[in-house]
Order: sequence, then C-alpha cells, then structure tokens
Amino acid sequence: MQKGLIQFSDVCLDYRLYRDRSVSIMETFMNVFGRKTSREWFRALDHASFQISPGESVALVGSNGAGKSTTLKLLAGIYSPTSGRVETAGRIASLLDLGVGFHPELTGAENVFLNGALLGFDQKKMLDLLPGIAEFAMLERFMDTPVKYYSSGMFMRLGFALATSVDPDILLIDEVLAVGDASFQAKCYDKIFGFREAGKTIVFVSHDPKAVRRLCTRAIWLDSGRARMDGPVDDVLGAYLDANAGKLQKTATSAAPREWGNREVFFSKVTLTDGNGIPTRTFRQGDTLKVNALIETRESREVKNVILGFSIHRPDGETILASNNLENGEPLLTISGSGDASISITPEIVEPGNYLLSISLTGNSTDYHWQDNFYPISLLGAKQIPPLRIDSLSVVEAVTR
Amino acid sequence: MTGGLLLMKSLVEKDLKVRYKRSFLGFLWFLLKPLFSMAVYTIVFTRILRFGGAIEHFSLFLLTGLLPWNFFSASLSASAKTLLDNQKLIRSIYFPRVALPVSSVIANAVHMLMALGVLEILLIAFGHTPNLSLVTLPIAVVLLAVMTSGFCMMISVGNVYYRDVSQFLEMFLLAWFYASPIIYPLGEELIPPGMEAVIRFNPIAGAMEIFHSTMYYGTWPELWAWISLVAWTAVILAAGLLIFKRMEPSVVKEL
Repeated sequence: MQKGLIQFSDVCLDYRLYRDRSVSIMETFMNVFGRKTSREWFRALDHASFQISPGESVALVGSNGAGKSTTLKLLAGIYSPTSGRVETAGRIASLLDLGVGFHPELTGAENVFLNGALLGFDQKKMLDLLPGIAEFAMLERFMDTPVKYYSSGMFMRLGFALATSVDPDILLIDEVLAVGDASFQAKCYDKIFGFREAGKTIVFVSHDPKAVRRLCTRAIWLDSGRARMDGPVDDVLGAYLDANAGKLQKTATSAAPREWGNREVFFSKVTLTDGNGIPTRTFRQGDTLKVNALIETRESREVKNVILGFSIHRPDGETILASNNLENGEPLLTISGSGDASISITPEIVEPGNYLLSISLTGNSTDYHWQDNFYPISLLGAKQIPPLRIDSLSVVEAVTR
Repeated sequence: MTGGLLLMKSLVEKDLKVRYKRSFLGFLWFLLKPLFSMAVYTIVFTRILRFGGAIEHFSLFLLTGLLPWNFFSASLSASAKTLLDNQKLIRSIYFPRVALPVSSVIANAVHMLMALGVLEILLIAFGHTPNLSLVTLPIAVVLLAVMTSGFCMMISVGNVYYRDVSQFLEMFLLAWFYASPIIYPLGEELIPPGMEAVIRFNPIAGAMEIFHSTMYYGTWPELWAWISLVAWTAVILAAGLLIFKRMEPSVVKEL
C-alpha cells in the first residue's frame, strides 16, 4: 500500500454500555443463573466505509456521538473494529489528546524520550529531534524541569511539538488546536499547513466550520455511525450545517432566549463586563468581553468535570464563535456548593453588529444548564483597525471556592 | 521486535526513576521490607513457635525465600492496577500494551536482583558458601520473572472487568504464601509427606526450591524443581499471552 493511504471498509464498532459501571463477579454469577443484568450495546460505527488517498486533507463532521472520535481512534490503532477492516499505510501521528503519556515526575526531556519509545523511536533518534521539539514548544530552558511544574499551556505545547516532530505520513487531529495562546495556535496551524503542503494525509475532526474550510478540501459527514455524505468540503459542510440549522431554526428565527438542562449545576448569577470589570453590553472590536458567572450546585457531593462553554450567534442563528474550557485545554470545573468562573472573549475579526451570547454548563453527556441566546450584546467597530489575527479565545480563570 | 524491547527498557527506566521520588530512604526500601518481614517471622518461628530452631541461620533461610516471594506478590498486586492507571495513555496512542504489565515485573525483578546480591554476601559471611549451582540461579530468576509476567497479564485484564480481582488477589496471596516453601523447607520431614506432595505442585515451589538450594544450602537443586518451574512457566506464559491478546481489543473500550 502506498504511504498515507487509508482504507476503511464496512467498519462496525460496538461499545458495551453499563447502567452501572461497577459490574461485579456477583453479577456475573447472577447472569449465569438466568437473572440478566442491564447490559446494552451501543453501535458507534455502523458499516462505515471510505477511502482516503495519500495527500488528502479530510474533515470528519457530524454531531456529538456520530462516531468521529471513534473513527480517529480506529485509524490510530487504539481500537480494533468489531467487524470490517481498517487499513492504514505509513507512520501515524495522532493529536488526539496531547501530553497524556507524560509522567509528572519526569523532566521534559525524559518525557520526550519515554514518549518517543511509546511511538517506536530509539534514544538516538529522539536525541536528534529534541532540540527541534524544545524550540517549537518554546521550552528550551525548561527541558530539565519536571513537567509537574509546567503550566497547562507549556504541557500542551510540549505535547504538540512532540507529536508532530516524528515526520508522519498520516496526521490525525481531534480538535486539539486550541493549544496555548493565540500566537502558539497560529504556529500550530502553520505546522499543520506545512504537513499538508508536504503531501501528508490529514484527518481532521472539528466543530469549527471555519477551521474545517481552511484546512480541508474534502469532508465526510458521519451520522449515527454511518458515512452519510462524502465530497468537497463546501458541499458537505453546507449540507451538514443546513441540516443542523433546521434543528436550530425554531429557536433561532424567533431569537427567543431558551433555557434548559437538569440544573444539577446551574448559573445563579451572570454579569457581562468589559476587561476592566465594568458592567456593559456594548463592546468594541478588540476589546475583551468578560462573562462572570456564579455557578452553584444543590448536590451535596462535588460535581466534577463540568464543561463551561460559550457561543456567539448572529441574530439569524449562525454561530460565529464557540469554545469551551475542554476544547481550550483549560481545566474542567469542579463545583461543590458554589463557585465563580469567568470567560474572556476577544472578538477581533467579528463584524460589528448585534449578537446573542449563549453560555452552557455540560458534563460528559449531560446538559446541566444551557442559556441559549440569552445575552444580547452589541459590537462596535474598533477605534483603530486591528491587525488581522486569529480570534483569541481563552477561559482565563476558573476558580471554585 | 527491537521497538518492543526499546519500549520495555524505557518503561522500566521510568518505573525505577519514578518509584522512589520524594522518598527519603529511596532504593533502600527494596531491602528494608523483606528485612522487616524476616525479623517478624524469625521472632514468631524461633521465639514463639520454636519451629525455626531446627534450621541453622533461620533468618537467612527466610530471607532467601522472602526475596523472590516479595518480588512475586508485589508484581501481582501492582499488575491489578497497571492498565487502569494508564488508561488515558492507552486510549490516546497505540503501543503494545502488554509492555505495561511486563515492564513493571522487570522493574521489580531489578530490585530483587539487587537484594539477592546483598543476601548472597550475607550468606557467604555466615558460612553458606555456594557451589557451582549458583550459576544456574539467573536462569531461575528469568523463568520466575516470565511466569510472573504471565500471571500479571491475566490479572491486569481481569481487574479491568471485575475490580473484585484485586481484592480477591490480596486474600489469595496470603494463602499462597503459606502454601509455598518459604517459612519452611521441603524434604526435611518438617511437614507431613502428603502435604509436601501438594505443596510441590504449587507453581512457585520449584523456584523456591532452586533459590534455597543454590543460595542457602549450596547444593544442586533437585530435578523436580526445574521440571516444575519450566513447565509452569510455559503454561502460565501461554495462558497469560492468550488471555491478554484475546481481551485487549475489548479492554481498551472498557477502560
């Protein structure tokens, strides 16, 4: 097979679902004696087929649970298909979760060698790659520091630099591009575009249509584990967004604020301020919009891994910007009692106009509290023309008390 | 294959580097734990039960069995957690996952070898001069480590499905300890012959016999010990690899 080729033939992948994950030996005995416990299967991929030629940049689009991440994990060799065949040719670099192999007690350099070994590279090869990795991650002075002293940004930068250092034939990317600050993000994009120019195969999963259009020429729309549409990026993305817009239309056209969720964790007070903490709903391009939220829970236990997200919509419902602390590589929130969190948004290349801000608290698969189109905001032109940059989005602080 | 060896080497190095971080006594712990057990058992079996009096330098006899036993039981206990502790890694990149339980066994074996070195010096100092049979000891160490790896492969997968495995293991290891010739010798008519036959069937009895003969007694081990060790190692390794390979695809999804 030619290097960089991907063949995905009639692939199914089943997960076992447990109502309660702690299945004990006791339960197995009960199964043996005929008392069936709750065990269900979930088909994440359902006879999905596609082929990707060397040098193609392909986006996988689809709603949550459509099988995008599962597909990447199959391509990376992490999962084996339940049925069907997954074939890849050449070396694969997976940017699925950066820095996971890092051991906090080991230094940056030691972690590079350990991860190199996990990827199948010997010490000598990694010694050659080390200066380049340190330079790209801008961590030359910190390579002999244990990574537990790294900030989350430094951690992610080293992870990205390491994962992309190995000259892959196939690059798998799962929305990890929100690495570090805006300038490092730009550097990451440059690196990925460099791979594309060099004729490497890229498979990209993202919810951001803008990023998808920039990077990919072709898109595959996954829907309930099947490849629903496959073709030029604009056609597929258009169809996908249209189908989704239909779902949103009911609320979007009326532009009515909508609120839902199980309120296990909820926003009890939200104020919008400018960068200096002065409450306002009117901003200038390049100004910082800060969303300060008091988040509460009535549960007696800690609620962990809460994802704080936001999105900004045009009055017609189209999403302009969206992100959350998970995508941003920021720590997830742990709420017990109540806690403060804030989101800082600096819309730089968004057209002046009126917009609606949505904020959300979600868990892994639960909606705690959504406030959709809840906060109208106005954006005025900049005092001076800002330099054209990638929008810098960052959830600056998330402190719980 | 060279990639696999390299990975194993890196994981073992990591294990050794990380284990004693922020520990005042550091590497000394590999000696202190068995020495402490030795002290306890010596008091119990020579001062209270007066059973060990029949064996010369009972403490050294105990230590000869305790070092391989501690290696074995510590490896088995650790293997229950090895896949769970590395679940993020396992779900993020592909690598031969069997390297995780095996590298942890090798790291433990490195500790055992260092402790055995210290023990051999003690034994010689107390007049237990070894004969040529000592050169066969490394073979027994390797076989024991391979057998231990086989057990660890089974336990590491089993514990992903049933967390009861690690609890059960702790209980079972206690019984296993007393069923192994560690605090008592075989072939000295200290235990009933019927029991002795049963104990010889224990998978690690062969290894224990070889450790005792080559290090403590300075004699050639009996043939049954080698046959038992080689046969059990082959069986356990085959079963371990089979179960691990068979369960690996679903384990990754279960984690």
